[in-house]
Amino acid sequence: MKYYHIMIAGVGGQGNLLLSRIIGDAAISKGLKVRLGETFGAAQRGGSVHSHVRVGEEVYGPLMLEDEADALLALEPLEGLRRGLQYLRKGGLAVLNTRKINSFDTNVGVAEYPSIEDIINSFRKLGARIVHHDFTKIAEEIGYPRLMNVVVLGAFAGIAENELPFTTEDLKTAIRNRVPPRWVELNIRAFDKGYEFSKKYSEFSI
Amino acid sequence: MLLKCGVVVVHIVGLDKPGSRFLLQGNEAVARGALEGGVQVAAGYPGTPSSEVIETLAEIAKDYGIYVEWSINEKVAFDVAVGAASVGARAIVTAKNAGVNWYMDMFATVVYGGLPGGLVVYAADDPGAFYSSTEQDTRPLAKSVGVLILEPADQGESKEMVRLGFDYSEKFELPVFVRSVTRISHSSGDVLYGEIRKERNKIFFNRHYGLPFRYNVYGPYRYKGETGPSAKHAWQLERLDEIREFVEELPFNQVEEGNADVGIIASGIGYSYVKDALVRLDCGIKPWVLKIGTPYPLPTRKISEFLRNLKKVLVIEEGDPFIEEQIKALSKDCCPDIKILGRGTGTIRSFGELGLSQVLKALADLTGSKSYELDDERRNVKAEIKKIVAPRSSMMCAGCPHLGTYWVLRFALHKIVNKYRDRFKGAWIVNGDIGCYEMGGYGLFAKEIEPQKEKATRRVSIDNPYEILDSNYIMGGGIGVAQGQYHAGYREGPIVAVAGDSTFFHACMPALLNATYNKAAVTFLVLDNSWTAMTGHQPAPTTGITATGSPSKVYGIEEIARALGVDDVWVTDPYDLKKAEEVLIGAMEKTVNENKTTLVIFKRECALQVVRRLTREGKIITHYLVDTDKCVGCRLCVQLGCPAVGWDKNSKKAFIDPTLCVSCSLCAQVCPVKAIKPSTERVVGVKEV
Repeated sequence: MKYYHIMIAGVGGQGNLLLSRIIGDAAISKGLKVRLGETFGAAQRGGSVHSHVRVGEEVYGPLMLEDEADALLALEPLEGLRRGLQYLRKGGLAVLNTRKINSFDTNVGVAEYPSIEDIINSFRKLGARIVHHDFTKIAEEIGYPRLMNVVVLGAFAGIAENELPFTTEDLKTAIRNRVPPRWVELNIRAFDKGYEFSKKYSEFSI
Repeated sequence: MLLKCGVVVVHIVGLDKPGSRFLLQGNEAVARGALEGGVQVAAGYPGTPSSEVIETLAEIAKDYGIYVEWSINEKVAFDVAVGAASVGARAIVTAKNAGVNWYMDMFATVVYGGLPGGLVVYAADDPGAFYSSTEQDTRPLAKSVGVLILEPADQGESKEMVRLGFDYSEKFELPVFVRSVTRISHSSGDVLYGEIRKERNKIFFNRHYGLPFRYNVYGPYRYKGETGPSAKHAWQLERLDEIREFVEELPFNQVEEGNADVGIIASGIGYSYVKDALVRLDCGIKPWVLKIGTPYPLPTRKISEFLRNLKKVLVIEEGDPFIEEQIKALSKDCCPDIKILGRGTGTIRSFGELGLSQVLKALADLTGSKSYELDDERRNVKAEIKKIVAPRSSMMCAGCPHLGTYWVLRFALHKIVNKYRDRFKGAWIVNGDIGCYEMGGYGLFAKEIEPQKEKATRRVSIDNPYEILDSNYIMGGGIGVAQGQYHAGYREGPIVAVAGDSTFFHACMPALLNATYNKAAVTFLVLDNSWTAMTGHQPAPTTGITATGSPSKVYGIEEIARALGVDDVWVTDPYDLKKAEEVLIGAMEKTVNENKTTLVIFKRECALQVVRRLTREGKIITHYLVDTDKCVGCRLCVQLGCPAVGWDKNSKKAFIDPTLCVSCSLCAQVCPVKAIKPSTERVVGVKEV
């Protein structure tokens, strides 16, 4: 495989970087090259954060081009649309968490937060295959809303299983190696919940 | 980032697993290179995108016996590293582009005689100015000093260049400059681990080691008919000639064969973009590629050879046309007819980030191939969707103490100007500085402004914290600029400067002494939140710990300011708006009426750090809410600029986002009708600790 591109979009504090590193580790375990283009600024919470994840045999720099992402992991819907609009290719896969986090601009009324329906329709207009759900809710059911990122990863792994250059098991091994010991079990449970969800997802056909 | 190894959790950078590949951020790769190279001393000052080198080395410092420090500023860090190398140790100093400017004096001087220990000088530039005041390219600075510059193309090469940098530095007895950029330093890649050097350089001091009076530029060293600094300069130039020979054979500079009369010379991240672009281009022809790993000195023989059979060469580099200009000068002798293109010729735009898409387009033009672009239909679909994508502006955090400080400052300025109307016909000046509070100049809601032609004082009115800073340049700049405004005779409003605690230590102390010594009537606000917050909460002298976590003295800015000659110093709490406003107005009146330098310290720990601590303790943070029956829709709370305070357009009432609110109480304090109160009786939040 020349390259496989994943765009991860979210808001500071949602665990965007951990996901990109887990995916990177899984790819390294398959002997592939990895580049992660991480954009994060000040330590502030709530800023827009996105990662270019590039794995394959022919990757050199950290950036993908417009319309080059094979998949988008959207941890927050508005951020998902912002990056998906720019990077997701026609026919690319979007896994979208529908739990909103307002921006200051929408809070103070200088901009309007688009409806989830409009966001989903926009992805359809872009020719994306889209899976959407309130993945934060699944994480809340486990007891830790912060596990949402790994739930999304599990869902993505279940849906994209046949197109990824690494296996679901590779991802789980990477989680076990990257996450602090006392959090491993919970993260694996979150991953499995996301994976199970994807297998039950009916609106969707690849 | 931690990785488990058996049951012991160690930092991924510290794993002793030669031959394995690991995913490292560029700055972690630099730390790994330093470790593999047997570094003994590391010093730096936080600055994005360079900070993670010291942070990472601090984490493995104990395991490997490395001395690691956050210095007070980059100049001191550089001096510390020079001192270490002068007694034979291997040392690394790290800084962002702006920080390089800080240490230039020592950098330009230490090369007169050089050092026995390997000294690697790591600089992370920021093209595109993602995290910086400028896009400054530091390579010309290192060239002006006359040292070897290495420029990595990816994280793997960052590691290797730093590791080998120590060897090269010791071979030529001069510092080696490693220049990285944001897209390498703050990106990650797979890095092949090598052996960790177990051997440590011997620590010794011999004042005449290798050269008489080695460490004293004024020492009576005689060489080539000169004495003292000129003799040492002659010595340095000889080393530089040796380096010129050395880079000809260095594997970091290499040719990849092509089959046409066009070529590409690429260095650093530019080389990676070229490789990425060539994968995507359907080239009828294959251009020659010369990869440059040493932007200075260039391998001139290799380049002349490369140019000989080519008609056109495109130079791809991130930053200024630094290599391009050197090659143009070189080609005048060897091949005057060749066309050299790059950022200097406008083939690639000369400002902003280089980026892959620009490189792809330039290569497509060079090779006459088609670069894929979106069709009109796709563009139209995207343009339509773009209309609904709301912005997410960068701003101060919910509960940030600076929100309180700026609220108080805004009202104090208005009140002072009104009270002293007879004296102040015009406007105040607020001089900013570098840190989270620089957001006070981001102008989030600013309208398009036409430049004004009249040389006359104009008063502005501000209604949010994001427009409060009139000037902002560099670390420590505000307090100095304020003094110049005063001494030049500006009397049309109070003159104020703001800076954070880490910035105060970094650069403001000499400027403050200058203010009291030369009697500048300015008011200085120090926003003390106990951390170097903006770069990721590195400890500062106000924190009470060092880089490696060992306890240290907590330095009080109040005592230091008094020692620097400020007679009138106040410490106040930005979470107590009424009191803080009284204090600030008192200070400004003292400045205005008695022509004195005054200083007010707004002291509150960074809300993010407090929230993290409370969360770690398992506490659930409570929030405030708006009683919509009482809310009169005056929007004062919205003007606070807190991301948790919102405005409902339909009901014309304020609301508080419970997921963001950290119970600082600021909005409740500014509400004139007491419509904002805690959601629960027992408040858990940043104010209660």
